[in-house]
Amino acid sequence: MKHYWEIYKKFVSTSISEATSFRLSFFLVAIMDIIFYLTTLFSVNFIFDHVQNIGPWDKNQLLFFISFMLAIDHLHMTTISESFWRFSDHIRTGSLDFLLLRPVHAIFSVFFSRFRAATVFNGIVAWGFLIYYGNQVNLPFLSWLLLPFMVLIGMNLLLVIEIILSTAMFWIVEGAGINFLRMQIQQLSRWPDFIFSKYTRRVLTLVIPISLVGTAPVQFLLDFKNYQYLLFLILFSFILWAFLLIWWNYAIQKYESASS
Amino acid sequence: MITTNSLTKNFKSYKKEPGLRGSIKNIFKREYITKPAVEGFDLNIKKGEIVALLGPNGAGKTTLMKMFTGIIVPSSGQVQVMGHEPYKRNKEFRKKIALVMGQKSQLWWDIPAMDSLLLLQKYYEIPKDDFDQKIKKMAALLNVEELLHIHVRKLSLGERMKMELMASLIHSPDVIFLDEPTIGLDLIAQESIRSFIREYHKNNDTTIIITSHYMADVQALCERIVLIIDGKKGYDGTLKSFENILGSEKVVTFVYDTKQDPTDAIWQGLDAKWDNNHQQVDLRLPEKKLREITSQILIQSPVIDFHTEKLPIERVMKVLMENPKILHK
Repeated sequence: MKHYWEIYKKFVSTSISEATSFRLSFFLVAIMDIIFYLTTLFSVNFIFDHVQNIGPWDKNQLLFFISFMLAIDHLHMTTISESFWRFSDHIRTGSLDFLLLRPVHAIFSVFFSRFRAATVFNGIVAWGFLIYYGNQVNLPFLSWLLLPFMVLIGMNLLLVIEIILSTAMFWIVEGAGINFLRMQIQQLSRWPDFIFSKYTRRVLTLVIPISLVGTAPVQFLLDFKNYQYLLFLILFSFILWAFLLIWWNYAIQKYESASS
Repeated sequence: MITTNSLTKNFKSYKKEPGLRGSIKNIFKREYITKPAVEGFDLNIKKGEIVALLGPNGAGKTTLMKMFTGIIVPSSGQVQVMGHEPYKRNKEFRKKIALVMGQKSQLWWDIPAMDSLLLLQKYYEIPKDDFDQKIKKMAALLNVEELLHIHVRKLSLGERMKMELMASLIHSPDVIFLDEPTIGLDLIAQESIRSFIREYHKNNDTTIIITSHYMADVQALCERIVLIIDGKKGYDGTLKSFENILGSEKVVTFVYDTKQDPTDAIWQGLDAKWDNNHQQVDLRLPEKKLREITSQILIQSPVIDFHTEKLPIERVMKVLMENPKILHK
């Protein structure tokens, strides 16, 4: 574990070194990401100028949820999102060869090597609003303590689902289709499950458990009696990671590299 | 150290007719072709050897390298490298090997090479003192001390290749796979890379497998050659024997500043090949008669320059690539 942590720290510093090589682009990306977060929050806020509730939640509860999803998104964008976009390039160009040679698990080298330094600033926006709306919904003390952990486990489920999908690139090679599918899946996770119809909700909870990413932790944080979905989330995370390891090992056997 | 037994790798691809019609047809129906890139390959390489894998483009050299390093999985047959089956990608195995690909880079493009090297230090858990010492030593040997902090994208191809070599050797691998390490480099850079590899091998007794289309690389580094044609082993032996596949004659070239008469008595009985201007002639002479005939020609004709063939291996390769059947005679 220490080995992996040492490498990860170096991934972070190397990525920062790379990102800051292009100063203007670095600041542009940082500003654009902040604008994206603010527009997401303001558009939901705008809806509540016209309605009192959406489903069982009022404005503060829904904006707490949206802020929670932005915190997950921030973590996702900062730590992993860039690697997903590079993955199909690695397969097409054969640069994956070198990642496979490294003496660590290939999933780690492939999906965690790019840290998006410009997105770090966004954390202030996401966590600022999360804390603000946490106060507005009177989050209990224990929920405050659990909040960072809940962001992590929500992100973990999203991550494993996305890596499972991306692994199909070993066959598909061209990444656009998979990456757009991944983004649509992310979109589905950004709304609470009650906005979906009964059957869609079941599919998104039990088949592709994407709606658990945000709904399960937020419902639990708002009311500890709602722990069932959280248990589902933890269970699915274990099952999906186990499946991913088997799926990845199978896929990697099919890798043909690119000719030189 | 490295053994293969009936090693085979098949690749599947598909045919596509040109144009829009072909593209639409291709969406619904594809005609797949399975082609062996490497077929029934047997090989045994001992520790400390430097072996050249030679062959025309598409012969299967890089595919073999990728199977040796575990990047791709063989379709059938066995391969073992230092007792490991490479495709199982055991962590200890990956720590013992290195791969340099002349046409692919393992360095991060937009940062200085030193940052990539520091990342590799963490990957391979190299103690700091050991790392610093290796960097210093290799950078001095390759004469790149001043370039370590320059962004990789700003380096010339030759400079980048030197950094690639450093990146591959930083963890002191037991086996190094060099896939066309001098491709596209100028003569000085080629020579510099060659002498570095030679020196590294001398000091570390590392096993090195190299592919190259530059016969000068092979001549300078390798004692053993494995020739691959159409995925199959065509030759496995010493460089000396390889040079003699087409016979042990030496090719000597004589140059004149005036037009010569090819019918002159001194050329009688010799297999003389003249250029169009009759100012240069190549002779294939038996090794035993080389001294005697060369002396006669030098005395009897106004030679301004002469030399023996510098890279006989190049001629042999050319002939074998044009007509691989010679190997089976």
